[in-house]
Amino acid sequence: MAGRGRGKTGSLTQEQLQTLGCIGKDIPQVQTAPPPTFPPLMSKPVKLETTAAQSYQILWKEAYINHMRDSPYFISPKVTNINSNLQSYSDQWASAVENAKTKSKADFVWRMMPTELHITQKKRRIADGDKVVTKKPKNIDDRLKVLEEKERNEDEKDVAKASSDSEHEEEEEEAPADEEMDDENDYGNSYFDNGEAYNEEDDNLDDGPVY
Amino acid sequence: MSIEYANLCSVVVKQVFGETVQIVADCLFCAVSRTLPAILKKTNLSRKEVSTALAVLIKYQLVVFAPCATNPFLAEYSLKREEIFYILRYPSYVQLIHSKYGPVGAAIAEELLHSGPQTATNVLLKCIANSEIKEKIETYRENFLAMVSDNYLIRLPQLISAEEDPVPKLQTDAYQYFAPPDINLHFISEVQAGKEKVEKAADAGIYWHANFSRFHQDFRDTVMIGAIERKLGTSASECFKYILKQMYERTDPWQKDCSNPFTFAEIKQTIEKKSNNLDLIKHLDQYVSLIADDPLRFIRKIGEMGGGQYVVDLNHAFEELTLSWFGSVITERYGSKASRIFRIIHMKKYIEQEELQKEAMIPAREAKLLSYYLFQDQFIQIKTIRKAGGGGTGPAKAFFLFHFKPRQSVRMILNICYKALYNTIERSNFEKSEHKRLIEKSQKLDSIVATMKERGESAEYIEEILETLTPPEREILEKVKTRIKTLSKAELTIDDSIFLLQMYLHHSKVETSLTTKDKK
Repeated sequence: MAGRGRGKTGSLTQEQLQTLGCIGKDIPQVQTAPPPTFPPLMSKPVKLETTAAQSYQILWKEAYINHMRDSPYFISPKVTNINSNLQSYSDQWASAVENAKTKSKADFVWRMMPTELHITQKKRRIADGDKVVTKKPKNIDDRLKVLEEKERNEDEKDVAKASSDSEHEEEEEEAPADEEMDDENDYGNSYFDNGEAYNEEDDNLDDGPVY
Repeated sequence: MSIEYANLCSVVVKQVFGETVQIVADCLFCAVSRTLPAILKKTNLSRKEVSTALAVLIKYQLVVFAPCATNPFLAEYSLKREEIFYILRYPSYVQLIHSKYGPVGAAIAEELLHSGPQTATNVLLKCIANSEIKEKIETYRENFLAMVSDNYLIRLPQLISAEEDPVPKLQTDAYQYFAPPDINLHFISEVQAGKEKVEKAADAGIYWHANFSRFHQDFRDTVMIGAIERKLGTSASECFKYILKQMYERTDPWQKDCSNPFTFAEIKQTIEKKSNNLDLIKHLDQYVSLIADDPLRFIRKIGEMGGGQYVVDLNHAFEELTLSWFGSVITERYGSKASRIFRIIHMKKYIEQEELQKEAMIPAREAKLLSYYLFQDQFIQIKTIRKAGGGGTGPAKAFFLFHFKPRQSVRMILNICYKALYNTIERSNFEKSEHKRLIEKSQKLDSIVATMKERGESAEYIEEILETLTPPEREILEKVKTRIKTLSKAELTIDDSIFLLQMYLHHSKVETSLTTKDKK
């Protein structure tokens, strides 16, 4: 109300109070404590009568609020637990109740709204935290067995390869023999000298100095 | 817009749409308009949450958007503050439609308020699918078209811009607001059979919504007719009802001061055609003079043409109604003597303390105390007139005159009403959350018992199930239900008072923030 907390004598100045005739003991007491939460009423409130129309409205309103609460247009913020590792009983119960209520899909007419409101999920962001790739728990023994099998298979392959290579040598021509040697690098072409040109005269003196 | 109104709107949005939408609505309430980035910054919510919340508010016609003045590719969103308050009146709107058009009309209105604006075809399909009323589709269509022709349903602005526009443009011409839609019953039956899609209906793109202005017009008429009936009787109230109908023939319903003139001959013609009240027809001229001469002055004679030319003085009508309402509030709070003091101050315009005591015939001390209480609670105000000085020696004397400023007092008490409404809603929510477990248990039991009855289980078994709710629990539940029902009744009563005060502020002569645009 007016003047609450201002001045010692409530909302009126001394001059105004005198004009009203509140002098001496008529001046209202200074408020030293906040007023009571439920101050006493001068008269009892009139009992409200409920007509048929009002009963209809009260029931309709309750049904409307329940309907909107169950609709997809009732949006509550997601509650993030401080410690997500600890699951409380109430969380399980709340999620069970929520899942039991199957909410219909929201129906918006997007063409009649600004395009910035229509967010389509084109990119999957890791920051959303919806899909966190969790590492599969390692089973060391199984892994060791798999590696052993692989090694065995590789040994067998090497043996099989060696035998197949020797077969392949007889089948292929001599020209490819050089290729066998040069299988992994071109050492033979670039650097290898088989000594055949050793006794040949070097007539390439005109080629210029060799550094 | 006061802080009490802001709190009330906030709690209404939370009750209907949840906390996220409440946060966004509160952000928009504080500003004329805001862009999406501004809302994101202010609310610290994710973009997805804010976008969904805005989409919900736009869907339910609580937010409008327009291209930004500086950047036409960016939308600015503004909150329709009045429309949020109208959510509290939805039960009254449905009840009015129910009384006029029956359960079919109520089902149509309910569907529009539940799901927001929709096409006519969509509304009828959902009504037939959801409703327990087994009526033909033709009945639904007739009721829908009747509601459109009576202006209870209004067309929303249609899309006129291209689909690629970042901020769509919506527009509808005034003459199309109530143009009836093309409802194809054959198409509806094909949609029900699954042969057609509802998007291909002939009226696709034409969305309908409740016309709140029309509902308020009816409420206003009910208030005035009720006042006449209580004071002058049933026949006089019927006469006034026809006077109002005649008024709407040539006056804008939300014209502020008084209506355009109409003649006695026109009223007589209308009543003789439509009324069955022989007493009224016989003594019509006396009833009209009675209403015109009454201190309420709902109608005023301005000429003699056509047997007497009259206007409906809405300004004065609501001033009188508001004053009498004020008087009853003061009587409730401070007693009948305070009410007498208030009436004298209003009658005398400006009055001093001593004169007030004499006029009211109340002991001096009591009169002083009551006038002090009225002043403290801002029902009356003090005007100071300084006397011409005594040469500067001693304190300057002054006259202190009590007077009544209607608009200031009405605004004050309107804020109190908003606060009271907020308190009832919060208290109701508190009661529900306090006894949530008990209420849910009772609801589950009721649904189980209903299922068992359908299956034809024995009465003993049903009784056993019902006994799981112990007698003390039943007692607590009954008390909680009674309290919630009382709070709901209080909400309806407070809303009636708020409506009266809003009508006064709208029709009073001084320009207000409530423009006709809001009412329409």
